[in-house]
Amino acid sequence: MLATLLKRLIKIFTSLRLTVILLAFAILLVFIGTLAQVDEGLYNAQARYFRQWIIFGLDLFGRKIPLVLPGGYLIGTMLLLNLLAAHICRFQLSKKKIGIQITHLGVILLLVGQLVTDMMAHETQMRFVEGETKSYSESPRNYELIFTSEENSNEEQVVAIPDKLLSRGGEIQNENLPFTIRVKSFWKNSEPSFRAPMMQNGPPLTTNGVAANFDFRPVAEEKTMERKNVPTALVEIIGANGSLGDWMVSDWTADGAMIRGLEESYAQQQLGAAMVKGIVARLVAPQSVFAGGKKFTFALRPERIYHPFSLTLLQTTHTIYPGTDIPKDFRSRVRLQNPQTGENREVEIYMNAPLRYAGLTFYQYQMDASDVAQQAGLAPLSALQVVRNPAWLTPYLGCALVAIGLVTQFMFHLVGFISKRKTK
Amino acid sequence: MKTFLICALAALAVLSNGCDRDNVKVYHVAKEDSAAPPPDQIAAPEQMPTTQMQPSQQPQLQFTLPDGWQEIAPSQMRVASFTVTNANGQTADVGVIPLPATGREIQLVNMWREQMKLPALTNETAVETVSAGNDPAKLFDIASEQPLIDGKFRARILVAELTRGATSWFFKMTGEDSFVTAQKENFLQFLKSVLFVENIPAQISGTGLGSQNFLVPKTNTLVIGGAHSNSSANSIWTIPSGWQQLPPPEFLVAKFSIAGADGASAQVNVSSLAGDGGGFLANVNRWRGQLGLPPFAEADLLPYENGIDVIGSPYGIVDFVGTDSKTGKPSRLVGAIVPQNGHTWFYKLMGDGQIVAQQKDAFIKFIQSANYANARNAP
Repeated sequence: MLATLLKRLIKIFTSLRLTVILLAFAILLVFIGTLAQVDEGLYNAQARYFRQWIIFGLDLFGRKIPLVLPGGYLIGTMLLLNLLAAHICRFQLSKKKIGIQITHLGVILLLVGQLVTDMMAHETQMRFVEGETKSYSESPRNYELIFTSEENSNEEQVVAIPDKLLSRGGEIQNENLPFTIRVKSFWKNSEPSFRAPMMQNGPPLTTNGVAANFDFRPVAEEKTMERKNVPTALVEIIGANGSLGDWMVSDWTADGAMIRGLEESYAQQQLGAAMVKGIVARLVAPQSVFAGGKKFTFALRPERIYHPFSLTLLQTTHTIYPGTDIPKDFRSRVRLQNPQTGENREVEIYMNAPLRYAGLTFYQYQMDASDVAQQAGLAPLSALQVVRNPAWLTPYLGCALVAIGLVTQFMFHLVGFISKRKTK
Repeated sequence: MKTFLICALAALAVLSNGCDRDNVKVYHVAKEDSAAPPPDQIAAPEQMPTTQMQPSQQPQLQFTLPDGWQEIAPSQMRVASFTVTNANGQTADVGVIPLPATGREIQLVNMWREQMKLPALTNETAVETVSAGNDPAKLFDIASEQPLIDGKFRARILVAELTRGATSWFFKMTGEDSFVTAQKENFLQFLKSVLFVENIPAQISGTGLGSQNFLVPKTNTLVIGGAHSNSSANSIWTIPSGWQQLPPPEFLVAKFSIAGADGASAQVNVSSLAGDGGGFLANVNRWRGQLGLPPFAEADLLPYENGIDVIGSPYGIVDFVGTDSKTGKPSRLVGAIVPQNGHTWFYKLMGDGQIVAQQKDAFIKFIQSANYANARNAP
């Protein structure tokens, strides 16, 4: 019975008909995904159509289409299984077909490598000003609400709640927190405005913490890759003996990139460096509650990935071609320190010369040493893109195998053809 | 067949990876790594350079609140803030802002008109003259023509402006057009009730020797930049005998003096700030600075973490001996920091070492006697 079922399953998975159906779906998906980018932007379209197992309903040209389709993950996985099954079941070790086998192996490697890359690769950013040391990088798209409490004289405990959980609303509990977090509002994208005395249009959402000095309001979600969404939430913290109050938590208060952007925007309004610092100090002032005999400081910030080593930005070099704004050279000189291995060395990171270390690749990504930044009293800043991709070699190997397979197969036929001609 | 199954399982194992982004993570980091903003942005909030007058120069403001108006903690540059809400959930915001008189109030009016998406005026246009206490005030009534609130409702700003000496006082109500219009009569009544009281101490009843209640006045009294009192006569603390209440200067909720022999004395100061008031470490170090002592590191606070049963705070009582940086005399400081409902209360007993030693128990009992429910309007 089981053997019959397996045989039938293998027959389905090894059929060429399945390959054709899957390729047809893949073509349709690419077509729909490309159209969807117009309204949803590249990142959202990728997430919605390609990084999905099943797609429930489409949004095209502002219309909802009630259709269920296989997503990119499902099509890719089925193609992989189809190819693997066909390869294994019809495998024949013969000279004649060795090129085809190698080519198939290359295609399998490409498919597996892409899947592994998509699911396991991380792209984060490390932003620091000259003289600053960082041992973590931050996600450009994922956020977390963190609660830190002192663990001992050297360490802090961090409880990080991903923004996905906040966006669902409701109550969040964790055994490491002596209180419940009730999410009253969550805005995926938001805008802050300083509660300047003559411009206050209404009472603050709450009088605790940052909300006393800043208003936040929801704004339309950003669709383009160049602009990011900055989430804000209104949460109530409920202790064992009742509410500890409502608090605004916003990425605007803890995201170095956004804070710096805000500082530069204020500086452009001719507020003066001292005034800018004063306003921003109110924005970034830590918020905390006491519960269970401990102090918990909390913030909504970009998701962090901690590394067992640190980088210190020693110097930024930012040169442009004379008489133009065209960048000539961006480079960061950093000090790499790893207490576990005892490494302590200087490295220069610049275009096409990334730092590869501990399975990570650090690319020179952005630099801000502009006049506006100086006007706001800001030190030069460098941002490195930190990429972790355990499958980074697979495209190279896959392509090489496909090329070798095709050449082998071609040569085999060519040699056979020439031999036949000679014998004639 | 076996090979096929192994391959399928391996593929599933790969697929199952990377699905942990929905879970709460708990980890430990070295202390300096968890600081959120970059170092050039984590300086303690400094005083904004403002054009506001110094609190000590300002007169006191007395007023009577109309029904439905609730006082809330004022944000910066405001000396008082109120929120008005009706049964339908409509709200309006009221603020009192003193600014140096410049004679260019038209610029402010135009700023509000810009907020209301209205064109600027070239001449100052006050719709009427109203009374703000004993003084005449100009009333500006600016209503939007477009729905500006949530894209549904029109907005309205009422501003009364009067100039007293070198200061222009602005009383501003903002909200939905219909609600502000309905509240206009209350706003005018509130303005009429306003009294500027020059150079008198805050009204605190119940002063004198002996065990007594710290009472707050029945009328709303506001010390500019300082303490808010409650509108009902309820006690906050039981005051130990021998303590003499003094008018609290700006930024203090209450102040007491304790006299000893040979002119020696000690003072008790009580203040309250929204949030954590800068945190325990920063405030303890502020106190240590007053005694000329070096600042504490976080680790030095460990012995103070078991005070919750004594004074309702996660921290214990601090007790330091040093030299008063103002007087240069040997001095002792006993202090406590008590977080309560989103505010932090600071208690400090400081002065002559002998008096402080004698009064320490009374000081703790004083803190324990606090009924914070009666101090809802504390800043």
